[in-house]
Amino acid sequence: MTVRKRLLGVLADAALILYFVFALFPIAWMVILSLKPANQLFSTYFSFTPTLGSYRTVLGDSEGIPFVRFFVNSLVVSVGAVALSLLVGLPAAYASARWRFKGSENLMFTLLSFRFAPELTVIIPLFVLYQKLGLFDTYVGMIWVLQLVTLPLIVWIMRSYFADLTPELEQAALLDGYTRKQAFFKVALPLVKPGVAAVSLLAFIFAWNNFVFPLILTSNEAQTVTVGALSFLGGDRPKYNLTAAAALVSVVPPLLLALTIQRYLVRGLSFGAVKS
Amino acid sequence: MDTHAHDRRHFLALTAGAAATPLLAACGAGFGGNDDKGGGSAADDVTGSFDWKREKGGTVKALLNKHPYTDALIADLKSFTAQTGIRVEYDVFPEDNYFDKLTVDLSSGRASYDVFMLGAYMVWQYGPPGWLEDLGPWMRNSSATGDEWDRADFFPNLLQADQWSLKDGAPLGRGGQYALPWGWETNVVAYNTEVFSKLGLRPAESFDELREIAGVIKRKAPGAGYDGMYGIAVRGSRSWATIHPGFMTMYARNGLRDFTVDGGKLKPAMNTPEAVAFTRDWAGMVKQGGPPSWTSYTWYQCSSDLGAKKAGMLFDADTAAYFQAVKGASPASGKIAFHPGPKGPDGSLATNMWIWSLGMNAKSKKKSASWLFLQWATGKEHLRRAAVTGNHIDPVRKSVSQDAAYKDKMRHLPGFIETFETVVDQTKIQFTPQAQFFDATTSWAAALQEIYGGQNARSVLNGLAGDLAAKVD
Repeated sequence: MTVRKRLLGVLADAALILYFVFALFPIAWMVILSLKPANQLFSTYFSFTPTLGSYRTVLGDSEGIPFVRFFVNSLVVSVGAVALSLLVGLPAAYASARWRFKGSENLMFTLLSFRFAPELTVIIPLFVLYQKLGLFDTYVGMIWVLQLVTLPLIVWIMRSYFADLTPELEQAALLDGYTRKQAFFKVALPLVKPGVAAVSLLAFIFAWNNFVFPLILTSNEAQTVTVGALSFLGGDRPKYNLTAAAALVSVVPPLLLALTIQRYLVRGLSFGAVKS
Repeated sequence: MDTHAHDRRHFLALTAGAAATPLLAACGAGFGGNDDKGGGSAADDVTGSFDWKREKGGTVKALLNKHPYTDALIADLKSFTAQTGIRVEYDVFPEDNYFDKLTVDLSSGRASYDVFMLGAYMVWQYGPPGWLEDLGPWMRNSSATGDEWDRADFFPNLLQADQWSLKDGAPLGRGGQYALPWGWETNVVAYNTEVFSKLGLRPAESFDELREIAGVIKRKAPGAGYDGMYGIAVRGSRSWATIHPGFMTMYARNGLRDFTVDGGKLKPAMNTPEAVAFTRDWAGMVKQGGPPSWTSYTWYQCSSDLGAKKAGMLFDADTAAYFQAVKGASPASGKIAFHPGPKGPDGSLATNMWIWSLGMNAKSKKKSASWLFLQWATGKEHLRRAAVTGNHIDPVRKSVSQDAAYKDKMRHLPGFIETFETVVDQTKIQFTPQAQFFDATTSWAAALQEIYGGQNARSVLNGLAGDLAAKVD
């Protein structure tokens, strides 16, 4: 029995390691590509002279591509979009979890429907509106349009967190003399902090990865990394080493954020999983 | 490089969106407003003697694709501003999504860009809705166009490629001039001289020879020290861009057509017995001598494989080989030579091409300044500088192609100048102009993949012709 258990354990470990290799291989391959010099890009697999030249090129704004500006743009619009969505979305999620009013479900469904429609179906009218309103190629314009991505996510996920909180806690606070606003900020909100952390990270990743909106609604001023990184592919030769370096650099902010809030993240993602 | 990796789904979705724009305008949404001045051209407003400083102090906004031709243009913009007093603002977008951006911009009816890069095929899509300014009146107006621009200096096939009457099936070279040729690519064979020499091979003069040589390289090169080398790199992804370089060139050299036009009606011709035989042979060549994962091959892989000594030959744009051939660019640098490629049965060297052209937004409010920019960018002086000091490889002007400094620069690439001069007069758009071009050629590429996968060529191409007949009707 012990031998069988041990064998099963070893097999399970081996399967996990295999899966680990399978899952991480694309990332490892990108790291390898980013370290290859241009003349060994296609002639070798694993044996090459590693160089940080690609990173220097990408971060040095060489090749006529202002990658660092695109990176800063991505940071500004993604953080801005998440912050605005939290500001608007948390009270909305709380309200929709606590009260039913006429049209509340329709309102919530409308919000969710922003996630159904492919972005391409609304991009031309949006483009025209942005041109007319002077929002084209601006941070404000990008933060606004990214609400279509981040707001439904935050409202719907946080709504279920608030719904899982027992209302008695807030009622007790109200009895103690708290206003509804104080009950929200001092009682409900601290209890769903892990959820806020998890959903903020998700919303940040979705905003950071968005491609169609920055492609059509920005030019050089507010262009983000998702569009900018592709610039290394075109032109005279496909520069996969530079594209890989640009992609890896652009992974850093979501990765750092995930590591920083890991403690909340685990709690947030498992929050409400088991009900008493 | 051309839009080889152009995403068809995006393009079709955007085209569908674009189609909805006039409906929105009709509903009073205020989109696509018409700023045109009635029937006449804005070129008629330009009178008096020609003056480069006519629009001094103005600005022109350009949408450009990331490309070596663009780099050469941007590097020389100061001279345009010095000559005209006009400032150029520009946005550069990556190749893969450039046309998504341009399509949305033009279809919106806004004049956010006055001038832009486009390919000759795009005229068939952007011309009929009225998004492109007809440059003919500007070219003909001596007050707007300086003598030194010299229209006759362009290779005639290139100028004609951007000229069309906007009617499906109508030949190029008649009607409005919807763009100006700026930089182009001819589709020829580039080969690794070292491998050819080691295996005792000579460039193919016929399609049969090409297929045979491709197979020989794939069989023998690995044993001769070229590990993993295959015979010939050609595109194979499910994209319109798979059809237009090597395939269409060899197809045309065999005297074959994509469509026939009868009484103004288009009839697909890719299922004639001769076309079926050719397509079967092409798929066979890829099987015998092509890359192992051919169905995913775009110009990226084709070009890179030639440079990495994985492919013995490349049948594609000459620029795709050029940037691997120049000194220090790749392991195959210095060992790549150019050849016109196999002749057709009657000796034809008919060649298909891609032309990066420059067009003007029909809604631009700065047409006079925009025309000065187009005139300068396609003029002799800039194009000569771009060819000699930049990487403007295939000149659209005869004078630049004969320029001593340009020839000196290109001479180190074996066969480049000879190949260019051999095919230039027979290089033209070999497709029949029609608005369904991208859809039709993408379906054609899908059919080619099916034949490569072992399906019967005749039935696949009959099915394709049936589908396309309904689409272009």
